[in-house]
Amino acid sequence: MSPLVHTEDVMGTVVSFTVHPESMPEPEVRAAVGDACRLLHHLDDTFSIWKPESPMSRLRRGELGLADVPPEIPLVLELCADARDLSNGWFDPWAMPGGVDPTGLVKGWAVEQASEVLRRAGVAAALVNGGGDLVALGRPPLTGSWRIGIRHPWDAAALACVVDLDRAIATSGSYERGAHLVDPRTGQPSVAAASATVTGPSLAVADALATALAAGGDEVLALLGDLAGYDGYLIRADATEEATATMAFAD
Amino acid sequence: MKKYPVVIGATVAGLAGVLSFHTSNASNALSNTLPVKAKGGSQAASAASAPPTTSGATPGGSTATTSPPANASATGTSEQYGYGVLSVKVTVVNSKITDVKLSKLQTADTYSTVLAQQVVPYLRRQVLAAQSAHISGISGATYTSEAYALSVQSALDHLHFK
Repeated sequence: MSPLVHTEDVMGTVVSFTVHPESMPEPEVRAAVGDACRLLHHLDDTFSIWKPESPMSRLRRGELGLADVPPEIPLVLELCADARDLSNGWFDPWAMPGGVDPTGLVKGWAVEQASEVLRRAGVAAALVNGGGDLVALGRPPLTGSWRIGIRHPWDAAALACVVDLDRAIATSGSYERGAHLVDPRTGQPSVAAASATVTGPSLAVADALATALAAGGDEVLALLGDLAGYDGYLIRADATEEATATMAFAD
Repeated sequence: MKKYPVVIGATVAGLAGVLSFHTSNASNALSNTLPVKAKGGSQAASAASAPPTTSGATPGGSTATTSPPANASATGTSEQYGYGVLSVKVTVVNSKITDVKLSKLQTADTYSTVLAQQVVPYLRRQVLAAQSAHISGISGATYTSEAYALSVQSALDHLHFK
């Protein structure tokens, strides 16, 4: 049976859902995807720093305190603090110009929450792609594995490599939309990496660590080598490449 | 660090996301065409230039039968992709995809137009070369290729192309 595909314009990007219904009736699948999309819009309204009236924007301006904002915000900020520690400070939402900015983690976290909506509804196999950050549920029924290409940093029409995805993958780079990575230690645009990919069990963490890997390069790759469950793949600014030993490259 | 020779058109990936759903042909098509080099394109080019056979043409893609028409074309849905809207027209001859044309491209800014113009020819070549593909998604921003793939898929659905 063909998978159901849905794309949603949300969070300043496109989130696409590929759901293999298997034994689940299609109306139930569509309802679950609809619920997941509603959640994404709600989280966008909550966390967007480009929406001046979002609770996150109001928190940044000091109009609201942590006790006044929706509970997702302190939860995400806690995850941000954990990721800052894991990355030895290379991911640091508190070092961003303009006040605390969880953007480097919140997209991955939101996409992961959307996948949880599908899982709780009974979906066994699905892929949710949030603008290039992906989380998988189960396995696709026919091929048995999610093969994910990693976009080549300088050639939009090529892949740098292909990996077999177990759960979550995030890639950070300065291509397509211009430089958006900031070195938390200098506040300047980061130039360490052309492309930084992290895989692991949590997309929120992978997203944050990909941001850290892009800013911190080899130092963060070494950290990832010691972090259980996570792997990293770095394409440096000079086009050389390096990956942790257990990165699941496909043939 | 091992360098990976897989340089499949990125296009593929997004595209593949869509096309991989038609798995019945996939193994044959892929065994003939992989490894696909993004810029080598010789296989893709030969696929692209294969002369369409006109015998046995059946009209239109609107038939309600489940078997695919031998020769037909259909325009896919207009896909929003964040930086614009695109749709494609897919032509099938003898149950083989022989052409994919961009039938609509509207972008919000010049940069997005330039990006789309770079990416679309590769996407087209990849569809023609692979007929199907086997990548589920791409990590890293690929909105253009996802939209392209989705539009191609909807056109193929119109044609009952398996």
